[in-house]
Amino acid sequence: MRWLGKIFDLSVYITGIMVSLAVLVMFYYIARESAYAFRQTFCWGYRLALLPGDAEPSATPNTAHYSSLVVVNPEGADGLDEREETLPAPTLEQMRSEGAMLATATPVASELSQVRPDALYRDDWRTPKPAEKGDRFLLLGYASPEYAQSTMYLAWEPDHSFEPRLPPYRLVLRLVRAPEGVSVQPFEIDLKKQPSGRIALPAWIARSDAERTQGYVFAVEAVPQTRTFWATLRGLFTAEWAPTLIYPRYGIVPLVLATTLMSLLAMLFATPLAIATAMYLSEIASPRVREWLKPTLELIASVPSVVLGYFGLMFVAPSLQHWLGQALGMESGRNLLTTSILLSVLAIPVVASVTEDVLKTVPESLRESALALGLSRSEMLWKVVLPAARSGVIAAVLIGAARVYGETMIVWILSGGTAVLPSFDSPAAFIRSLVSSTRGIPDTIAIEMGNVTFESVHYGHLFLLGLLLFCITVIVNLAALYIGRRQVWRV
Amino acid sequence: MEGIGDSALVVARSLQSGRRLRRQLADKLFTGALSGIALFSVVAVLAIIGVIIVKGLPIISWSFLTSPPAEGMTAGGIYPMIRGSVLLMVGTLVIVLPVGILGGVFLAEYAGTNVFSRFIHASVASLAGTPSVIFGLFGLAVFVLMMKMGVSLLAGCLTLALFTLPAVVFTTENAIRSVPESFIEAGMALGLSRWQILWKIVLPNAIPGILTGVVLSTGRAAGEAPPILLTAGIYYATGALPRGWEILKQPVANLPYHLAEGYRQGGVIPEAIVWGTCLTLMLFVLSINIWAIIVRTRVRRRQRW
Repeated sequence: MRWLGKIFDLSVYITGIMVSLAVLVMFYYIARESAYAFRQTFCWGYRLALLPGDAEPSATPNTAHYSSLVVVNPEGADGLDEREETLPAPTLEQMRSEGAMLATATPVASELSQVRPDALYRDDWRTPKPAEKGDRFLLLGYASPEYAQSTMYLAWEPDHSFEPRLPPYRLVLRLVRAPEGVSVQPFEIDLKKQPSGRIALPAWIARSDAERTQGYVFAVEAVPQTRTFWATLRGLFTAEWAPTLIYPRYGIVPLVLATTLMSLLAMLFATPLAIATAMYLSEIASPRVREWLKPTLELIASVPSVVLGYFGLMFVAPSLQHWLGQALGMESGRNLLTTSILLSVLAIPVVASVTEDVLKTVPESLRESALALGLSRSEMLWKVVLPAARSGVIAAVLIGAARVYGETMIVWILSGGTAVLPSFDSPAAFIRSLVSSTRGIPDTIAIEMGNVTFESVHYGHLFLLGLLLFCITVIVNLAALYIGRRQVWRV
Repeated sequence: MEGIGDSALVVARSLQSGRRLRRQLADKLFTGALSGIALFSVVAVLAIIGVIIVKGLPIISWSFLTSPPAEGMTAGGIYPMIRGSVLLMVGTLVIVLPVGILGGVFLAEYAGTNVFSRFIHASVASLAGTPSVIFGLFGLAVFVLMMKMGVSLLAGCLTLALFTLPAVVFTTENAIRSVPESFIEAGMALGLSRWQILWKIVLPNAIPGILTGVVLSTGRAAGEAPPILLTAGIYYATGALPRGWEILKQPVANLPYHLAEGYRQGGVIPEAIVWGTCLTLMLFVLSINIWAIIVRTRVRRRQRW
């Protein structure tokens, strides 16, 4: 019997320590997985072309006949279905037959000495290197003998969805070599400061196909500037969440703002209702009424949130759209406002039941002395009971807020799903963003984890979002615990 | 002079009675408003449940509950999902019961009251308030990928068990703490050891409270979609289950996952079936809870202290 007791003691200690460390273990593993977010290899791509000297100011490399694409991206470039890396650079004959007079070409080499006249291509794709390595593309520019103007432009623009400010490189476009007999000021353009533009150059004409390599040589260079870690971190604080783009964006600001906004709104709806319900239950209702009311309230707390979400989708959203759609300019019933309403339904029983427990702990003597001093019941409740229970009520609201902040299914079903930054410019714009489609943190995790490649950069970012959510809710819960422990009436 | 004094008294009295009236009115208004708001909350709650029942009831039939989906989810029943939910719940209970109860015993009887025990309390409380999707992430990273269980019933049960663990620990602790001190003192007076007191006196008296708490928290877990979404769910499941332990290695269809994934797939499931599934899930969770509440009240009546 004695050894049985020892074994029991031991197992209780082991389990107890396991349980108390569970939250730290969870924190560790989620943080560990989010490290994948920092294994980002930053892709970048540029489209360059020569434009005639009389080209419109609005003309871009995209409109030029023989524009070159230099891309560091395993996926290819935006707008192209497949990689066309073996497309040869245009010969003079080809240019003549197609009526084009200017062309660019890449030698797929990064040193001038390696340029071979028989291996010129229009585009260059590369697999991304680690951010510490950098990269360099050479680019040749030439005109066909038919070209009669004295100047031409070198124009550049980022590949369609590429944002030059995000990668950890200093991106530079420079003149490496001017052709013989042409005098031109060397230039070096910082592509982060000037993402697209053009620069005028004296025209240079290739007399034969072999001469194409003798003309202008430009270089697009990626010079390592910051560490991958800092670039990834800085990328988080941008306003666009679009992880499936070829140049993915992982800006979590819109998600965090949306979740915060919908939780605040939901608590704004729920708090007065919940506190009033709790006060009625604990102070006014007769015992018979209370016996029925409390389980009813507990009933809604046990309705699964996915069911509440569907209820919102099939019942609340259409009616809201019907009654308020015109007045508020709603495009759909699935928006931030509807989400907040359903979230408040979730929060009311949580806040009410904790508040009621707190009100019960307010000593009866306080109520009796208040009444003895001649206060009416409402004055007693408002001026004595509620202030006495203040810290507990705040704790209850915080617990409800944490619950709402991490709620997934309601937001998933009702938010509409577009990650946009809410607008704070004017009241009208703010209201419009309240009734437009949005997307929060928890639903993004749950939705996108379904189609993500495990242990990829995107996967890491979803864990990073989870880590953020975890930290926020733990802090709010600990604050509730700390505040709720203070009992005002003992002071 | 006297007249003036009299009228002053009258004015003062009428002022006073006006104030009293105003106070009475304010009192009535305040309590009225509170009752009104409480009534509104309760009616809203009942209305939500009512709408789900009214919309879901027409499709619920014996064949809906016992046949698999047909014609690419557009017809048929939801039997595999109900079966999966039951399996998940049973698995979760089997895992969480011993761990949670031992953890609760630790908190109530072994941890004492010091800085360390306050740390444990804070850590379990923050686990209790952690969103379910975080448990899903953890389950995915640790059970599914690191321990190579794959998306499976076992990984789902473990994740859900972790999700319900803090609630079970806390209810166990409360149930143990509510056993009267005099019982324990009587045991000590009889010369019982700590473990005998626990085993023979504390736990038997605390077990009803523990069980209802466990069942209530498992009920909540049964309705949560996000942990299952990342660790155990499968959308198309009509075939028979494998025999024996193989079942633990397979993903299972279940009610919350079916609703969530059905939404992701974009409105393939007809609305009537969705309402029916919602109602089934709600009744599934409610029946668990109601059972627990009934047991709790019956036990409370029988308690001898």
